[in-house]
Amino acid sequence: MAFQILLNFFVAFLWMFLKGQYAAQDFFNGYFFGLLMIFALRRFFARRFYLWNVGAVLKLIYIFNRELIMSNLAVLKVVLAPKINARPGIFKLETELKKDWEITILANLITLTPGTLVVEISEDNRFLYIHAMDLGDAEEARNDIKNTFEKAIQEVSR
Amino acid sequence: MNSKIKTNDVILQTITKVVFFIIVIFSIYLFFAGHYTPGGGFVGGLMTSSAIVLLLLAYDVKTVVGILPVNYIHMAAAGLLIAVLTGVGSFFFGVPFLSHTFGHVHLPLLGDTELATAVLFDLGVYLVVIGVTLTIIQTIGETE
Repeated sequence: MAFQILLNFFVAFLWMFLKGQYAAQDFFNGYFFGLLMIFALRRFFARRFYLWNVGAVLKLIYIFNRELIMSNLAVLKVVLAPKINARPGIFKLETELKKDWEITILANLITLTPGTLVVEISEDNRFLYIHAMDLGDAEEARNDIKNTFEKAIQEVSR
Repeated sequence: MNSKIKTNDVILQTITKVVFFIIVIFSIYLFFAGHYTPGGGFVGGLMTSSAIVLLLLAYDVKTVVGILPVNYIHMAAAGLLIAVLTGVGSFFFGVPFLSHTFGHVHLPLLGDTELATAVLFDLGVYLVVIGVTLTIIQTIGETE
């Protein structure tokens, strides 16, 4: 992905040098033509066409913002409820993510979801220990995290 | 961290790798902003040292020394030397000690740039602040 972006910038600069005009407009024109070229020759590269990764990043940002708003509303409900009938507890979640930054983003996303909080990561980066505000649906929370966040993060690093 | 249970600092270290650069670039911005807007050598130096302190918090002292093999006492000395030399430089033009000047210079690539000798003095202040702060912190950190 990084190599494709670098190549795209290189093509844009080449376009500017060929035109002999060093303006932002010419750079964007060259960038656009480079994008078309890389898209046409996308089977040459080891990784997939990088715009899909950019789309995945945007999707992750959207999920992040949605979870932020939802989690604050959920906490508001709990705080304003007359009686707290939640059973707090800590459960373990196995993750398939390998890289440091993936685990960091996953942990931060889990912390932002309503009622869950990452307290510890195991030494071999395989298990996350998560504190839940209501343990009644731990299994549900597990599947939820697996299906939304892990998938979205794996999309980015594909 | 002398606890028996080793904690996994993967989140702190990953965030530090990104945030370190943000803090350092902000400190450099503050250093150059000091002429017309709030900022300057002192705040810039403190900012840079705080970035290195963040590294010290996320990793251990040995790793940080491996990453940045800098002798901070020498750095403070170099900063003082630069600050004094900008003062001595004014003797060559027959003006009192520490007289500063500025002017517009046409540089290649950058175009019309305003250069001031006060920036060199500020660079001395910057280096002294980083050197002194990190000497203090490392000296306290190494004594068990």
